[in-house]
Amino acid sequence: MASTTAQNFKQDMPPEGGYRKVNFARVFPKPFASTRALVGTYLVSTGIGFYLYLLNDKEIDHYQIESRSALIALKPLLDAEADRDYLKQLRKNRDVENKLMKDVKGWKTGTYYGEPVYKTVPKEKIIHPSLNEYYAHADPKTLENRAYWHKNL
Amino acid sequence: MVVTNNHELPTFEELTVEEVPISTPGLRAAAHHIGKYCLEVNDEFMMCKEDTNDPRKCLNEGKAVTSCALEFFRKLKGNCYDEFQIYSNCIDKSSSTLDFQPCRKTQAVYDKCVFEKLGIERPEHGFFCKPRVYTGNRPKPVEELTVFSDLPVGLKDFEDEERPPAKYGIRNWFMK
Repeated sequence: MASTTAQNFKQDMPPEGGYRKVNFARVFPKPFASTRALVGTYLVSTGIGFYLYLLNDKEIDHYQIESRSALIALKPLLDAEADRDYLKQLRKNRDVENKLMKDVKGWKTGTYYGEPVYKTVPKEKIIHPSLNEYYAHADPKTLENRAYWHKNL
Repeated sequence: MVVTNNHELPTFEELTVEEVPISTPGLRAAAHHIGKYCLEVNDEFMMCKEDTNDPRKCLNEGKAVTSCALEFFRKLKGNCYDEFQIYSNCIDKSSSTLDFQPCRKTQAVYDKCVFEKLGIERPEHGFFCKPRVYTGNRPKPVEELTVFSDLPVGLKDFEDEERPPAKYGIRNWFMK
């Protein structure tokens, strides 16, 4: 049994001429364009883009200056109306406080029982009241709308 | 409130004048021409505000500003009503920020009408953004330099200083 096996035995050997060489060389992709062309294209396109950006920037500035010019032209008109409204409201607040506190002994409007809020400012000068004081006699919703939601209703 | 009965406040009658009942698109449409038409009055008012920093002292100037704007709008209504309506409508509907830029065609028609009927030319681009020299009659404000007194005035020795008890009690009463 052992002899037959030995006769049929065939040693596995490399092919004639040896194995083919192992391909381990690094393969570079075929370049799309030369380095000089790529860098040149990049610089040119960026330059054109920047130029267009500058043009657009200038145009936007142009619009904004026109818009701001309109606002500045309107400012005296809006301010005049707002100032009158503000003074009206101050007088209303003072009248309401006079009426509200008339029964409280020793109370003087605009002071704390005769003690002024500001001591070193001239007597004629009005220090603008804070929002809470300005809206003290109004519906709380009004103050909330103005202070938190920036609504002027 | 901080306003006492000693403060002088104008009465309601003094504060009530006819206001300009125009909405924002309309005001913006007419802004450049109003600025040109009421240039001197507006300058007076803004200089007054800048000098006095007190709304009570600039009421008459403010009333002049409002009446000038009203006068302009009345003239506009009499002469260029349709042009103005179309232009302000265009500004209102064309963008969310009320830009002038999408309405150049209607603006040209409106400008032409205002120039022919009222004789007001649209001011150059950015006219109101540029600094101008004030040529009115207001006197030049006097700059008062702060004079510091010789220190220390009224400063007492710590031991001699009066230390009355707190008028309305103290907040941290438990610490004494």
